Amino acid sequence: MTSPQSSDRSISVEQLSRRFGDLLAVDDVDLQIGSGEIFGFLGPNGAGKSTLVKMLTTILAPSSGRAVVAGFDVRRQQGKARQVIGVALQEVGLDPLMTARELVVLQAQLFGASTGAAGETAGRLLQTVGLADVEPKKRVGEYSGGMKRRLDLALALAHDPQVLFLDEPTTGLDPASRIDIWDEVRRLNSEQGMTIFLTTQYLEEADKLADRVAIIDHGRIVAMGTPAGLKRGLGEEVVELSFETPQDAERAASVLADTAPQRRPGDGGLRCYFPVAAREVPGIVRALDQASIPLRGLTIDKPTLDDVFLRVTGESLRAREESGDGEPLPEAVKR
Amino acid sequence: MNDVVRLIARSLRTSLRQPAAIIPGFAISVFFLFVYNAGLSSVASLPGFHGSYLDFILPVAIVSAAIGGATLAGEALIRDISSGYFTKLLLTPASRLALIWGPIVAGGMMLVAQVAVIVVLALLMGLGSATGPAGLLVVLAFAFLWGMAFSGFAVFIALRTKNGAATQAATLIFFPLIFLSATFVPKQYITSSWLKVAADINPTTYVFNAMRSVLIDGWQAEPLLVGLAVVLAFATVTGALALWQARKATQLS
Repeated sequence: MTSPQSSDRSISVEQLSRRFGDLLAVDDVDLQIGSGEIFGFLGPNGAGKSTLVKMLTTILAPSSGRAVVAGFDVRRQQGKARQVIGVALQEVGLDPLMTARELVVLQAQLFGASTGAAGETAGRLLQTVGLADVEPKKRVGEYSGGMKRRLDLALALAHDPQVLFLDEPTTGLDPASRIDIWDEVRRLNSEQGMTIFLTTQYLEEADKLADRVAIIDHGRIVAMGTPAGLKRGLGEEVVELSFETPQDAERAASVLADTAPQRRPGDGGLRCYFPVAAREVPGIVRALDQASIPLRGLTIDKPTLDDVFLRVTGESLRAREESGDGEPLPEAVKR
Repeated sequence: MNDVVRLIARSLRTSLRQPAAIIPGFAISVFFLFVYNAGLSSVASLPGFHGSYLDFILPVAIVSAAIGGATLAGEALIRDISSGYFTKLLLTPASRLALIWGPIVAGGMMLVAQVAVIVVLALLMGLGSATGPAGLLVVLAFAFLWGMAFSGFAVFIALRTKNGAATQAATLIFFPLIFLSATFVPKQYITSSWLKVAADINPTTYVFNAMRSVLIDGWQAEPLLVGLAVVLAFATVTGALALWQARKATQLS
């Protein structure tokens, strides 16, 4: 790393920790992310995702460990690191009294662009994020949440970064805006070779976008791999059962205690895990029939990232979201 | 250096988009000028007092306007912190000094604009300057530096507390700085010995002295140099505190 090259777009994290008083927000994280990778960092609210992003983007000092982004140590080479990093944090950072164009121009200038170049950048990026047609004098304070998020992304891109950090880029967005952001992330990655580090609490987002995924819980990485590899790694298939009433689902859970020892509540039913699902279907149907529990549906399913999450954390991410720990994903996006 | 200019320009532009925020500080200093001049101008007939009372009280109105300027600078930073824009700026390679100089220098410049209006009002009321227009420029320069010194303090408190109410409350410290001095009468008329001591310690006294010397007495090296030294020292201290806090902002938040 002593002679960083402009083509180095990797991220290397060694034993990185951050403590806030008694809370260990990030606990001994090791990561190697290659140039041009889309890396998804999946975890519930409060798992330590934002703390990690702030450390990797130079604005929060680690308690211990080190991180190198695009060849630059984020503590000892802050200025150089900032020059190659683009960041859109979870909370957008926009001055409500300025216009979109003023913000992008100033951002590009602060990264060293001349006035002329900054103006061109602003025109191009506002086009890219679909804000070119907004009334130019309109101040950002009057923008909708989705527009602000897109403008914030434009600011993150104002200096053509090598590595882009997106902290929960789609949280709180409507489904259409969410898909726009996904498309833009894919485009930046494939056309410009940008390495993209993305945190999310949405399983689908990590599954659809990321080349590799790390699951973080209570500050620790508990699983890492490609989405397919993680799911395959469970070595299991799923029988998903649905019932007419929640009471039936509860009764079924106790009836199936022996037949399906690995199971958890699913959407209006039960998810049961087996090495080979088809072989177990007759036993399940027989047991439910004997207990006179009417079955509404039965499907054999592949494991999802939520199943992986459940296995490594002992809890379902979706269940945590629904317990008020986070926002559930709108139905329309679960395509 | 380019970054400093751009961030100052940006601070000025956004401040001007909230004209309502500028009015209170300005109104208070105009109020000082009118009311104290109307109510206390007979002080000028005391034996040993020379010059007009308007010349004497104008620096008080100016320094009180500086409080308004400082409050603006602190509030502007609080606005940036709560909108998240300050974090966005921290993520750029711009020097941390440039980030705090934006609001501080803009605060000083807004103050100069206000003071220029106050001086024009005072001229209409009959202000005379013993050193002519050049002396008035000296007064403006002192106002600018003193405004920056106050703004540095407000920016320091804003960065430290990240809280608008705390920042406003902290600017109250400027009131003893104005009033524990030879504010309304020359020092030889202050009878209370503790107030005399306070006036000697208070840096504002030396700013008043410098401004009054050019307005009333003509060019005199000593009050100007002492005033300049005091105001630069004060600005350096508050500026250094603000910078230290800005550097810390990337360690903790």
